Amino acid sequence: PVTAGSIVVPYGHVIGNEKWRGSEIAQKLQGKIRLIFEDDLGLVDFHLSNRTCILYISEADLVAGDEFKRRLVRFRNASNLGGIVIVEKTQISDQYFLAVQKLVVLELGMVLLPVANQGEASQLITQLVSFYVREQSKDHNSNPFVRKQGSQLAEPSVFRTVQQIPGVGKTKALLLLQQFGSIHRLCNASVQELEPVVGQTVARQIHSF
Amino acid sequence: LFPRAPPEQTPSLCVLADSREISSGAEVISCLKARHGVKVQVCSLSSSDYVVSNRMAVERKLLSELLNSVNRNKVTQRIQRLQSVFERICVIVEKDRVRPGDTSRLLQRTQYYDGVLAALARAGVRILFSSCQEETAALLKDLVLVEQRKDAAIRVPTEVEGHKREMLNFYLSIPNLSYLAALNMCHHFDSVKKMVNSSPLDIAAGAQVSPQKAEEIFRYLHYGFDVQMLPENLCAKGR
Repeated sequence: PVTAGSIVVPYGHVIGNEKWRGSEIAQKLQGKIRLIFEDDLGLVDFHLSNRTCILYISEADLVAGDEFKRRLVRFRNASNLGGIVIVEKTQISDQYFLAVQKLVVLELGMVLLPVANQGEASQLITQLVSFYVREQSKDHNSNPFVRKQGSQLAEPSVFRTVQQIPGVGKTKALLLLQQFGSIHRLCNASVQELEPVVGQTVARQIHSF
Repeated sequence: LFPRAPPEQTPSLCVLADSREISSGAEVISCLKARHGVKVQVCSLSSSDYVVSNRMAVERKLLSELLNSVNRNKVTQRIQRLQSVFERICVIVEKDRVRPGDTSRLLQRTQYYDGVLAALARAGVRILFSSCQEETAALLKDLVLVEQRKDAAIRVPTEVEGHKREMLNFYLSIPNLSYLAALNMCHHFDSVKKMVNSSPLDIAAGAQVSPQKAEEIFRYLHYGFDVQMLPENLCAKGR
């Protein structure tokens, strides 16, 4: 059955598909995180959080043919969960990697992360989970790559922008900004208004810019 | 009379490349041009390595840079900067070049690296993996094609001269504005005055940016300058 819906993952836990019981991944995950097995996860191999799950593509899946592609497409169509595809990229499966990457990332818009073996996969899953734990514990600065709304003073930038007008250097930029206050007002000033501040030639240059 | 050739169905593909890529990614650039027929405009992008559409920047990172936490700050700052300029970001993780017989650079996967991948994925940054510069070029071309399908392709002439060059420099000094948005502005507005008097909606259409970004630009142009807030070292120099 196509089961790809959301499922409640307790804090700091991972819910694994029953078929992974006893596998190398499961063994290496246990001890680091709390792993619970369930047997009705359908297309999904591991649920990391209420919104994120993992689909695992082994070397054997890649070599066997296109079945894994159907599985990914079915997941993508059936689920609005964030799907992370972990793929075994080995010497044998390397030749298929580029095509898989194109399908997963560029066509399906999912995340693809290559690993060399199940050991590496367990290390990667551990990092992903510890990330969600930090996130849920209201540590909002936990992700260094998430844009922070920095409120920087605009004055230095405005000063620099005005200096890009031909004929205007630091001194004139400062005089102009003191007189007109904003880029908008400066650009709408008449030659007559500009002349007393910067002289005739530059006033014309600014006006025609 | 001969029938005229039908108009070209697919518009030419175009990317902007940062000038530093000439030395660090020479093969990427030559492959893009020679093998994939992509027009590469080299310019001083400063923020990203490549720009593949109106909204997407691509950062090329060597695997060794992401394996070692020594580069943590550099990488973080660069991605944060990209986040404030571009709507979409893609990181291409490229395998380092290894000379035949050189085994000293056999790179071990680190916990730090897995943490970086997790954080990037969580921040909505697309990640692609490449084993060499040729593959990176092919990935860049794929990205250009995808963005073209989504109607975000670079459509304006990428070279500007004379008065347009002066206008470009003016637009480039607006904080958190991408090179391409500045370029779009150059071609869309006849004069700087026209641009400065535009509504946020006009700015969004002219620069091909999101409504939020257009709003940000609008606020900047109308920002009331207070000389007291200018750092001492900046205003002192001019006197």
